[in-house]
Amino acid sequence: MPNILNTALNMSQSVLEQGLIYALLALGLYVSYSVLNFPDLSVDGTFPLGSAVTAVLIARGVNPWLCLPISFLCGAAAGMITGVIHVKFRVTNLLSGILMMTALYSVNLIISNGSSSLFIMSPAMGKIFTGRLAGVFPPVVSKLLIILICVAAVKLLFDLFMKTKCGMMLMVCGANEQMVKSLSVDSGKIKMLGLALANGLVALSGCLMCQYKYSFNVGDGTGSMVIGLASVIIGMTVLHKVKFLKNTTKVIFGSVIYYACIKIALNLGLPPHFLKLIIAALFLLMLIFNNKILKGVKEDA
Amino acid sequence: MKFFKKSRFFAAAALTLTLALGGCGGSGNQDQDAGNQNQAQTQDQDQEAGKVYKIGISQFAEHASLDNCREGFIQGLAEAGFVEGENVEFDYQNSAADMSLSTTIAQQFVDKGYDLVCAIATPAATNFYALGKDAGIPLVYCAVSDPVVAQLVPEMGKAGEGVTGVSDIIPVEKQLQLIHSMFPEATKLGILYSTNEPNSETQIALYEEKAPAYGIEIVTEGVADATYIPMAAETLAAKVDAITNLTDNLIVENLPVVLEKATAANVPVFGSEEEQVKNGCIASEGLDYIALGKQTGAMAAKVLSGEDISTIGSEYVDPEQSKLTINKAVAESFGAVITDEYAARAEYTE
Repeated sequence: MPNILNTALNMSQSVLEQGLIYALLALGLYVSYSVLNFPDLSVDGTFPLGSAVTAVLIARGVNPWLCLPISFLCGAAAGMITGVIHVKFRVTNLLSGILMMTALYSVNLIISNGSSSLFIMSPAMGKIFTGRLAGVFPPVVSKLLIILICVAAVKLLFDLFMKTKCGMMLMVCGANEQMVKSLSVDSGKIKMLGLALANGLVALSGCLMCQYKYSFNVGDGTGSMVIGLASVIIGMTVLHKVKFLKNTTKVIFGSVIYYACIKIALNLGLPPHFLKLIIAALFLLMLIFNNKILKGVKEDA
Repeated sequence: MKFFKKSRFFAAAALTLTLALGGCGGSGNQDQDAGNQNQAQTQDQDQEAGKVYKIGISQFAEHASLDNCREGFIQGLAEAGFVEGENVEFDYQNSAADMSLSTTIAQQFVDKGYDLVCAIATPAATNFYALGKDAGIPLVYCAVSDPVVAQLVPEMGKAGEGVTGVSDIIPVEKQLQLIHSMFPEATKLGILYSTNEPNSETQIALYEEKAPAYGIEIVTEGVADATYIPMAAETLAAKVDAITNLTDNLIVENLPVVLEKATAANVPVFGSEEEQVKNGCIASEGLDYIALGKQTGAMAAKVLSGEDISTIGSEYVDPEQSKLTINKAVAESFGAVITDEYAARAEYTE
């Protein structure tokens, strides 16, 4: 019996670890998809961009904490370009994302100097999970606590930002672009800023993931969009009635719930090739439910 | 009203899960039971007799070669007395080439505290190593072409920290012998490869090193993605007497185009493993992935028997364990010479 309890504890811990790392990705998608109403596909490229930058920097001996803001900035720059393509060159939102995602595939390979994967396993290459901070906590929970600290800090900063005039404009811009224009603010700039913020968060998530699994792979980004969107929708749906929680908190919970579902699916003992179907079914279920409760708020996805 | 909707949602969710469980449970067991018919009868008695080892198998993608690795691994263990259903239980997971899923599966194996984990292909191995290193679960990898670059082991022949395994290496020398024997006049051998697969560059270097001994010169043509393959294949076919494939995934996935362009230029294409010969390549002296898996299984058996994993050196697959496959129809159409020695041990496909 204690064995089963132990396994269950281990599992909830790893669900939290991965769920929280992907929560940053989900926050990014919350900005682009929920706030700005922009289905941004560039995230499939910005997530591994964060990973690639981190792996290269860490291999060169750069401080792993410094990799976090650098990854954020790289992601933000990519998001900004998506914004420029969309706003300045009037390319549709879907296409500008696809363009950016395609270009980033090459960019990521250029960063990694052509190799499809980079490894930072060697203890000589410092990771935030092996640094001085990790030594402060008991080893069993140190990874989780460090991730928690990062995510909490990002969430608080993000919430603060949303309270500024800029953040307010972002909210308004997604809901009613005309309103922003009537306030004589350039809605295009607001969109670019939002996309930069969104992709910065996604790259930050990629940076944490790279340090968590000690490697970068050019395929890391495959499915990021689905993971992030599912988390946003699950969070907003399951917790829609909980009024005292901020949306950002709901999104973070959503990501953890998403990973809990995947864990359960893995544990059901289904043949592995069924897993993606289960994920899709779960996602669909949430979408149907979401459309019922949020009828009229969002018609297109 | 809202409450009603919510309960309906949960009912639907529960129903879906039940259906999924009921529908897939059967096939899942079948999958794991493959090759072990009398498991059900013997399981109960033997579980009491001794320890049942739990082994997690994390396979990175759905791929015929990797499936063979897994099958070989299970066979290799069985040959050493670790038989599925008797004293071994497998948890097989496949991440369908999804990196994030591969990480989740690795984490899952750590959580369950298995006795041993077998990782098939590099991403599966490195993901498990990153997460499971501190948990003390021994990792045996299979089909990791360069474990030193992947930072799993310090150098070939040595084990890493709780990790060892078997690497694949294509039998270049034997393939060259085969090509030379079938087409003694061929002097220029073409290789089409994808520029973002590091393994391909390693394999080309091997070919370039060994080819001069057979009077063969290697001509290469790199492609960045699938759209360039038709053009590159055409260009290459015009310059060479024969083409040989590497284990390059991009090229192998687009084999029909390569074959079409090469055949149009009357140039035979040699495969890097038997599946490609079944799909129209002339012949291959390729890696036997079952043998690779078996060798890994034998290694895992040593670990389970109590040997310290750090003393079990990492190895390459035995180069003698290659498999010759010839496509009869294609060989005849090119008028290839098949010597008696080759004819005796070849496996033919139509």
